[in-house]
Amino acid sequence: MFSIDYDRHRLDNGLTVILSRDEAIPIVAVNLWYGVGSRNERPGRTGFAHLFEHMMFQGSAHVPKNRHFELIERAGGSLNASTWFDRTNYFETVPSHHLELALWLESDRMGWLLPAMTSEKLENQRDVVLNERKQRYENQPYGDWDERLQALLFPEDHPYHHTVIGSVEDIKSASLADVEEFFRTYYVPGNAVLTICGDFEAERARELVEAYFGEIPEGGVVPPLPGEVELAPTIGETRKERVPDSVPLPRTYLAYRIPPFSDPRFHQAEVAAAVLADGKASRLYSSLVRERKLAKDVVAYAFPLVTGATMLLVAVTGHAQTEADTLEEALFEEIEGLSEVRASEVDRAVALSETRLVNEVERVGARADLLSLFQTHFDDPGRLNEEMDRLRAVTREDVRAFAAEFLGPDNRALVTYVPEDER
Amino acid sequence: MSEESTTLRSRSAEPSPGPIRLFEAPEVAAGKLENGLSLRLAGRPRFPVAAITLVLDAGEALVGREHAGLAVITGKALEGGTVHRSGSALAEAVEGLGTELRIRTGWDSTTVSLTCLADRVDEAMGLLAEVVREPSFPAAEVERTLTEHGAMLRQRKMDPSSLASDAFLTVLYREDVPYARPLVGSVESLSRLGADGVEGFVEERYRPSRGGLVVAGDVNPSEAEELARSHFADWSGAADPGPAFPIEPERRERRAVVVHRPGAVQSEIRVGHMGAPRDTPDYYALRVANAILGGAFTSRLNLNLRERHGYTYGVRSRFSFRRGAGPFSISTAVSTEVTADAVREAVQEVRGFVEEGPRGDELEQAKDYIVGVFPLQFETAGQVAARTAGLLVYGLPDDHDAHFRERIRKVSLADVREAVERHLRPEELQILVAGDAEAVEGPLEALSLGPVEVRSE
Repeated sequence: MFSIDYDRHRLDNGLTVILSRDEAIPIVAVNLWYGVGSRNERPGRTGFAHLFEHMMFQGSAHVPKNRHFELIERAGGSLNASTWFDRTNYFETVPSHHLELALWLESDRMGWLLPAMTSEKLENQRDVVLNERKQRYENQPYGDWDERLQALLFPEDHPYHHTVIGSVEDIKSASLADVEEFFRTYYVPGNAVLTICGDFEAERARELVEAYFGEIPEGGVVPPLPGEVELAPTIGETRKERVPDSVPLPRTYLAYRIPPFSDPRFHQAEVAAAVLADGKASRLYSSLVRERKLAKDVVAYAFPLVTGATMLLVAVTGHAQTEADTLEEALFEEIEGLSEVRASEVDRAVALSETRLVNEVERVGARADLLSLFQTHFDDPGRLNEEMDRLRAVTREDVRAFAAEFLGPDNRALVTYVPEDER
Repeated sequence: MSEESTTLRSRSAEPSPGPIRLFEAPEVAAGKLENGLSLRLAGRPRFPVAAITLVLDAGEALVGREHAGLAVITGKALEGGTVHRSGSALAEAVEGLGTELRIRTGWDSTTVSLTCLADRVDEAMGLLAEVVREPSFPAAEVERTLTEHGAMLRQRKMDPSSLASDAFLTVLYREDVPYARPLVGSVESLSRLGADGVEGFVEERYRPSRGGLVVAGDVNPSEAEELARSHFADWSGAADPGPAFPIEPERRERRAVVVHRPGAVQSEIRVGHMGAPRDTPDYYALRVANAILGGAFTSRLNLNLRERHGYTYGVRSRFSFRRGAGPFSISTAVSTEVTADAVREAVQEVRGFVEEGPRGDELEQAKDYIVGVFPLQFETAGQVAARTAGLLVYGLPDDHDAHFRERIRKVSLADVREAVERHLRPEELQILVAGDAEAVEGPLEALSLGPVEVRSE
């Protein structure tokens, strides 16, 4: 299907560098993964990894505030960053002759962030983040689903018990000292992966990376995760929450605790999710949406997380007149029906996943992100090239066995929103 | 070591760019079938995928107010089945090929697209053709489409951002202008739609004569043309240009309308007025102008509202270029208590831009940005197909993309200043706030930007 060539080396300070060339278009993606996310946050500082991500755009010793955005936009690049449970990534795609600019900017904030840090910047970005929280969670119907669901699915001392956005109170408590400590602890070369993908000259790229990143000091060893990572493979019961709220339609978020991304069974979970809800011939769409007309849409997704366990999420939006109990029961019935999944359903799911993966690697930015992901979590970027075979290897029997073990009544967490007032 | 890789310059100065490798927009072969269907074929093998987009002159702007949403509903109902197979059998067939149909209806067109592995392009195009040419609209499936659409409209009303955007249109355009209503129609107009209307719309608008087929990716153009012939050559019928419609603003005088959302923690804000059509001679100057004002992260609006004041997670402005003059709009969401401050700053930024015009450094920054990001739109087969389809919809010449960047580069300070004077009118800005009226009405009044009207949801 595709084979992505790459070359990997490590700088003396521990930074892992992956170079993957593709000269089809004169653009290049620079992608950095730091092995830090919300799972590293200590109690009282939830949301900090994400707030910190914002601070990384506030300038560094040689780059004034806003200059990063200005320079990349002026270069004709696109850029962003995101914080998730296990990692934080920073990325830009620029015309290939601006590769050096991107490396200069990324290296400056990896090595020289603190001299430029001020409390004004922190206050400003705290406001921006609190607004982001309002816009995406508080002022949104169903906006607190993940907070509720993660609390049901993961024990209080597990790093996935709290959300990436964190609590308002914790965001408000973050101090400049926290910024400094977090940076020194986690933003060290040994805890980062730099992937360059696209149009560049290999030797030149190596030299530039060495020149810009090589002088960054090694830093210490990243401390162990706070809390207790080990947990039982399933939750042992069905945990339900009913939330009367000002939502337009009933909606159920149903999650199962499943083996992590790093476990061979994770691909079975991915295929099961696709059998359930990928496309209009999927099980849940066919049954709940097309035939029984209980719901208007369904989605299912296995989160590629690595800390002890992860979740397979199914979300379904009911029609106004659909009773919450009916919706939940119908979901359970279809999911438990996976015990009789047909080979054709598995084939369809795999075919859809296959095309989607190729579509993803078509873009150098997404390709770079995948290489960084496989390096960060598996120490093996080449796993990207095996991904398709791993999915194809999943059989009907695997899906049946997986469903029997993980998708039963002894492992459900669900949050159902019901409309409370008809305005 | 290569010649250019001498030592690193000082870290304190930003590096200079390396040698430029020029980007050329993909070559697109143009043709036409005897039935009038335009063909655009772009071979760009990189990965073994192919993208197909069929463009139909079947946009929502052609639909009268009483049937608002008809074009959109028709597009959605296409997946209900064909004369050869039921809706579920169709889904099985399409997804068995590892692909999905994407049906998108806008003001100016309906497009039916898919991306598949290249060795399945023949079968995939066959299914796409079947869906467009031989839909069967079973009553139960049309009914389901309408019910689901109704549920979606219900969700929009409770989503603050959609609520604000929808209400804003009614503030911008006179009631009889199609653009005054949400693209997706209303609960009321939905009740007037059914299988008959949908079939009639297909009969009238889903015709080869004003349509086009784009194939991009790992299929060579001659092969693609053969495929197009085999699946579409015997399709017949002609669509007329469709009715003309008025484009008039609701009012000229500045005003603020508050859609009351009791207890809202945030206000969704929209500020703007009628913009310009896609064929405006000022198109390139307006693209540059908008990048300076609010079309990029480092635009005036975002640097002010987000980076200086911390009012918002982000703010953007845009001109919606359509066949007719779509809206010019500034969109943001801010905390309730700073609503009036954010509105004041937004209006002030527009006023300042009109009065003072752009600065030279801003002009260069904006042009570099637009020119530089241009190639990013051509990475995937799907992107190339979508981009090419857009040219067909707006009747733009085939060499449009080949000249795009030089036209942006030619935009001068005077061009931007004049375009801004022609198309931005601070005294006519309409302001829409979806938020807690009890908290924001007073402060908005105090801005003295015009009358403030409060509406319940």
